[in-house]
Amino acid sequence: MTLFAALASIVFGAMGKETTQERWLYGVKVFAEFMVIGLVLSWVLYFIP
Amino acid sequence: MVKTERIEAEADEPTPSSAWLIGAAAWFVPGLGHGLLKKWPRALLMGGAVWLCFFIGLNMGGHMFDLNAAEGSSQLLQVPPMIANLGTGALYIISWLLGYGFADDPAQAARATYEYGNTFLLIAGLLNYLTMLDAFDIAAGRKS
Repeated sequence: MTLFAALASIVFGAMGKETTQERWLYGVKVFAEFMVIGLVLSWVLYFIP
Repeated sequence: MVKTERIEAEADEPTPSSAWLIGAAAWFVPGLGHGLLKKWPRALLMGGAVWLCFFIGLNMGGHMFDLNAAEGSSQLLQVPPMIANLGTGALYIISWLLGYGFADDPAQAARATYEYGNTFLLIAGLLNYLTMLDAFDIAAGRKS
């Protein structure tokens, strides 16, 4: 999941914004969103039989 | 120039034919489109991510889709994932010609990483479609 999030956020970040700094921030934000949503969903599904 | 004026001005300008060629090159070899535009960091990052995603998917035991439906499955259901896989361009075509990465037998499906591999292969193609559109927009002058 981490690897997937990293690869997807590299592409999203590289094409997302105008300046290099904005791209870095956007890439990090997308990566964090993938990770947080993935972990939350997996814990939710863990409790569902 | 306000946004609506800019959109109207852009609509009048025809897309240069080189942009279509760059787009085709970007689809065929991941990263090549940005390389031709001399956007080396982007070519390396975006193309590299697609190549890595593809080979990780293959190593995990994932399989790509073609129109040959598995027993009990509809051929129509093969089309959407095949379109996603086809996004990797030459990587898909070469694998298809070599007959590598298309096996969908029970032994392979039993691997713990099988579904992860399938997902990586699908995502590699979809990410390359994004990369292709980015290269096309840069070549058409719609983006820097």
